[in-house]
Amino acid sequence: MIINGALKRNILKNQVLTRISILILLLFSSPFINSQTLEDEKNFQQCKACHTIGGGKLVGPDLIGISERREEVWLIKFIQNSQELIQSGDELAIQVFNENMKIPMPAHNLTDDQVRGILAYIASGGKVAGAETAVAPESTEASSTEMEAAEETVKLLAEMKRDSRRNMRSTFIIMVVLLLISLFDLVVTKLVKARWIHIIIILTSLTIVGELIFVEATSLGRQQYYQPDQPVAFSHKVHAGQNKIDCQYCHFTADKSMYAGIPPVETCMNCHSQVKKGKKTGIEEIAKIYAAIEQKKPIEWVKVHNLPDHVYFNHAQHVNVGKLECQQCHGEVEKMDEIIQVNDLSMGWCIDCHRTQSVQFANNKFYEQYTQLHQKLKNGERSAVTVLDIGGDECQKCHY
Amino acid sequence: MEKIYWQSLENYKENQASVLEKREPVPEFSIEGLDESEVKGKSSRRDFLKMLGFSVSAVALVSSCQMPVRKAIPLLNQPEELIPGIPNYFASSFFDGDDYCSILVKTRENRPIKIEGNDLSPLTKGGTNAKVQASVLNLYDDARLKNPYLNGNETTWQELDEEISAQLSQIKASGKKIVLLTSTIISPSTVALINEFLANNPHAQWVQFDPVSMAAMRKANDLNFGQPVIPNYNFAKANIIVGFNADYLGTWLMPTAFTKQYAANRKLNGGKRNMSRSYQFESTLSLTGSNADYRYGIKPSDEGVVLLNLYNLIAKSTGAETYPTEASPIDLNQVASDLLKNKGQSLVVSGTNDTGIQLIVNAINHQLTNYGKTIDLNTPINLKQGDHEAVEALVKEMNSGTVGGLLVYNVNPAYDYYQAEAFKSGMEKVGLKISFSDTMNETAKLCTAVCTNHNYLESWGDAEPIKGHRSIIQPAIRPIFNTRQFEDSLLAWMGSNIDFSSYMEKNWETEATDLGWFSGAFTQFWNQTKHDGVFSYPINTTEQPAFAAQPLKLTKPAGNGIELVLYEKIAIGTGKHTNNPWLLEMPDPITKATWDNYLCISSKYATEHGLALEDVVSVNGLFEIPVLIQPGQPDGTVALALGFGRTDAGKAGNNVGQNGFPLMNTVQGAPQLAGKVVTIEKVNGKTYPLALTQMHHDMEGRPIVRETTLPEYLQDPYSGNEQHLFDEKHNVTLYSKVQYDGLHWGMSIDLNSCTGCSNCVIACQAENNVAVIGKEQVRNRRIMHWMRIDRYYSRTEDNPEVYHMPVMCQHCDNAPCENVCPVAATNHSTEGLNQMAYNRCIGTRYCINNCPYKVRRFNWFEFTNNNKFDFNMNSELGKMVLNPDVTVRQRGVVEKCSLCVQRIQEKKLVAKMENRELREGEIKVACQQSCPADAIQFGNLLKKDSAVSLMVKEERMYHLLEHLHTLPSTSYLTKVRNTEA
Repeated sequence: MIINGALKRNILKNQVLTRISILILLLFSSPFINSQTLEDEKNFQQCKACHTIGGGKLVGPDLIGISERREEVWLIKFIQNSQELIQSGDELAIQVFNENMKIPMPAHNLTDDQVRGILAYIASGGKVAGAETAVAPESTEASSTEMEAAEETVKLLAEMKRDSRRNMRSTFIIMVVLLLISLFDLVVTKLVKARWIHIIIILTSLTIVGELIFVEATSLGRQQYYQPDQPVAFSHKVHAGQNKIDCQYCHFTADKSMYAGIPPVETCMNCHSQVKKGKKTGIEEIAKIYAAIEQKKPIEWVKVHNLPDHVYFNHAQHVNVGKLECQQCHGEVEKMDEIIQVNDLSMGWCIDCHRTQSVQFANNKFYEQYTQLHQKLKNGERSAVTVLDIGGDECQKCHY
Repeated sequence: MEKIYWQSLENYKENQASVLEKREPVPEFSIEGLDESEVKGKSSRRDFLKMLGFSVSAVALVSSCQMPVRKAIPLLNQPEELIPGIPNYFASSFFDGDDYCSILVKTRENRPIKIEGNDLSPLTKGGTNAKVQASVLNLYDDARLKNPYLNGNETTWQELDEEISAQLSQIKASGKKIVLLTSTIISPSTVALINEFLANNPHAQWVQFDPVSMAAMRKANDLNFGQPVIPNYNFAKANIIVGFNADYLGTWLMPTAFTKQYAANRKLNGGKRNMSRSYQFESTLSLTGSNADYRYGIKPSDEGVVLLNLYNLIAKSTGAETYPTEASPIDLNQVASDLLKNKGQSLVVSGTNDTGIQLIVNAINHQLTNYGKTIDLNTPINLKQGDHEAVEALVKEMNSGTVGGLLVYNVNPAYDYYQAEAFKSGMEKVGLKISFSDTMNETAKLCTAVCTNHNYLESWGDAEPIKGHRSIIQPAIRPIFNTRQFEDSLLAWMGSNIDFSSYMEKNWETEATDLGWFSGAFTQFWNQTKHDGVFSYPINTTEQPAFAAQPLKLTKPAGNGIELVLYEKIAIGTGKHTNNPWLLEMPDPITKATWDNYLCISSKYATEHGLALEDVVSVNGLFEIPVLIQPGQPDGTVALALGFGRTDAGKAGNNVGQNGFPLMNTVQGAPQLAGKVVTIEKVNGKTYPLALTQMHHDMEGRPIVRETTLPEYLQDPYSGNEQHLFDEKHNVTLYSKVQYDGLHWGMSIDLNSCTGCSNCVIACQAENNVAVIGKEQVRNRRIMHWMRIDRYYSRTEDNPEVYHMPVMCQHCDNAPCENVCPVAATNHSTEGLNQMAYNRCIGTRYCINNCPYKVRRFNWFEFTNNNKFDFNMNSELGKMVLNPDVTVRQRGVVEKCSLCVQRIQEKKLVAKMENRELREGEIKVACQQSCPADAIQFGNLLKKDSAVSLMVKEERMYHLLEHLHTLPSTSYLTKVRNTEA
């Protein structure tokens, strides 16, 4: 089997392969395929946080004899992405989910073969014949390096975006060139006698200063690219991206209430009662959760997305009724370690979306009362009903 | 035929004068109300430039600052039912010692922000009154004590309990009496607890005290029926209602429940052709009198004579014994014949605390066979159990020094007992004085210890306002301060280790099990009861007790002179909530006065004595008070509202007006509101400003309130509303009418149901964060209420007909305000709402000037965090009452009724989330939800069967000022008076 193959490789070769695979990952962001030395045991490390083999139930059920209890195909699907299976309506998956206090099992980036390997490892009672343990730390290190590198990329991208919005490099260059030309003309050549040159220079400068004022003034009070430090180094990338925990598992009021809701510490404890060590941050950051519980002092997160007091925004309307993805407003949260406000959340931005976004006109019975619009749809006079068509740009939809 | 309508006496005289000469109209806003500096302006041009420079640099400085860091702090453990952003409702009950109401408490993020009526209550049926609506603000009153007090210093509960237990046993040993002086207690569990406490302390005695006593009624029923009770009344079953100084729609017994019943029997919707008729005999113009079909002004001393004459007329035709009396000043033949025609379907009530009068009332009702039909002695009302004789005896004992300990709960006799001075001197001779007040009120100040009580929204409890009807009080918030509820204090001193909530539960369990109120598990029954807030159990006795006739005689009427009538204002009552700025600023439904009490005098008296509005008079040399000329005030009487003149109420209520309690009349030891003969002297040259909202919403005599009489209405449903048909025909336009798709919100107000009680005014204020602006600004005609009740008079000034008309933004489809806004801050929505965007408003006030209804309000000042407006919005605690869904408006913007758009949006979202259409009646706007008369309907005008559409189809429907072609979405229904043609 694979294990035998893995044993034959030497350490040096292994390292080279690792490096190469990092490169591959950076380029194609494909799943990291580790060397096969003791791979199954290592892969099982992530299971160990919540499961035992014959040691009784932890967060999730005891896995002893799992292959006899469940079909392999189902198991592979469930282990790879349990939430997807549950949402697809698989009864067994839902039953398992409910039996285990509705604590979601994070998704795992494992190939079918890797899962089979883990299952074999479980079936063998958690033992690997003649295993070499020296390899394991090396690969852990490698995988963390890989992640750091990926993060760097995201951060750089974000910064570049921010800079492109903010800086006035082209303007500056034009200004400097104009200035230099005029200075050169003034001091050296004195060729140009025409007044209009001065007028053009003055007008251009005024335009540029005016634009500067306008851009800065409209962004007053807005916080695009706001990325404050949080009290806990919580990574959405790890939770939502790698572990594929559904956004609404933690922000569980987003489909019910105006507020998406910051999860209470007890929600963290659903998993972190077992997961005590993060791959990057170690125990220090997770310990802050325990400290909060002990001291009965909630964690004071810094709010990133702020709207003015005179704006009424309701998450349920957009998430539940409008069926929008969180990312549509919040950006690719699953790739962010620290949350950054991607959109400027200005009124223009809201209205722009209202102008083009279709409402769930056919799917929601509430809209049945709009008989005239339904008639027009039927007659083919219009193809869709946007938010704007039912009053999505009116003052008192958001201001009251 | 043309009636003259008038809003005030000035207006009335003007109308008469205008026939002779055209007069310049009084300007809506007058610069005369302003200081000189405000008129001229304080700043020069140089100052302006300085300020400009300063503000520009300030803006630059501020804008270069960092944005504030906002925190999002989740709960440690989030209870399942608590979702931030979604309100929770808890069923509870309001009982302040006088008035009862079943309520729902709306909480957001665990803090109560609004009181709603409880639809499940068979008594109040979802109605409330202004006091109940405003009671949520009492929870956030800065005057509330934050800790228990001992000898004037803050202390801990442990220290206090040790001290009190020691002193109580000391008193026990000395053999002196301990007296528990409370308000009326309608809580069965508290009564059980008090009885246990009395059993534990053999020297203890329990006295109940009502500032306005109704003991005479209990005594009369004891004499007639052998039961010292107040019977239950059913105004819905009565076709003829005759009231004698009983303001049953305003303040008498259970006004909310009575208004529900009264209004139900006066609706003419859906082709109903009959309604009740009400007569009111009264000594000052009350809310009930203003709604009565026939109203008569009588002197208090004449009440007995009128009643006995009425009895004689009825007795003559039924063949019962008659009694000799002097002739009635009023012709009673019509009343008597109406009553005789409606035997068993009529009701006679009197609010006078006089056994003789109550005996006559009982005899009349007995002759009319009303017992068992409109009056039920088997389900008596438990309110007003106060025993004035016991209180008088207590004061005597206190002064003689035989009382060792006095425990005062929910009463404030140092202020509202009519012999407060005797009470205060008695208190000095009592060793241990404990108050269970939640503020340092007049009585608590004199006490050794204050066991600071919870607010009722933090307490557990139950209530049985009428026999067979139970109601639950449950906390909607954890105690804000270090307080403890009265019952828990008693339990602590009795050495009990359970708290009152478990005591109450145990009490219910025993009783419910014994009486078989439930099948299955008690927990389930108990949870259901707490959920509903109310529980009714059957009363098996159907037979009314036998009537034992008593000789009817009149107590000697008072000597000649001006008789004083004390009355309760609908907002202030007996003064328990005088520190509530919402209630102080609520215009009185009749006088339209805010922030004060005053002496109401008749027009004739004013002319004779050369008195004008705001002139100051002295009453019995006791105090000086401004006068207000009140149409309908009977000659020979003056009226004064109770509940004012408090010295230790809090920052809003201190020293507002004068205290009328010392001027109570006593007849054979019974304290009465009316009848004391007083001497009134004009204080020459002295005036006192009153803040009336009376003149500044004048509609200049146009046909605004439309009315008809029942016979005319039956003949022609359009009677009184002919103008509507005319205007409909003449309102032609070149433009096409606005077409709505799906939703078109509209409101309908039945003027025939509206009593003018002003519950909606406060409900709107609580819902929409309407600012309190204080007396001076009300006087400057700047009151902020989004909803006002216009009051008009017609006919004579001696006994006018009164009209109440709620007016708020009419949400016109052709709105004059929208066209004139230079920045389009106010515009029309596709759902028919006239929208107001505060952040777009630049404050030109063109819209205000162009609105024919005068419903727009301008924020002349910053009313939040401003020490000049030191009310609830200037206090961290007081701001907790604000509705988080509604913007708090800043200075310089216009605001107005939004048809509770936040409620519309909320319910629309719920419907969308549940994937269904909106249900009829699902959206209830604030003024509609708790209206005790169900006068307001709101809904989708495009739905043909919605309640509001049905109202619009009525022949009585008209729009306010419809000839202006503003096409309002709000409509009114003509008022119908049940008079003979």
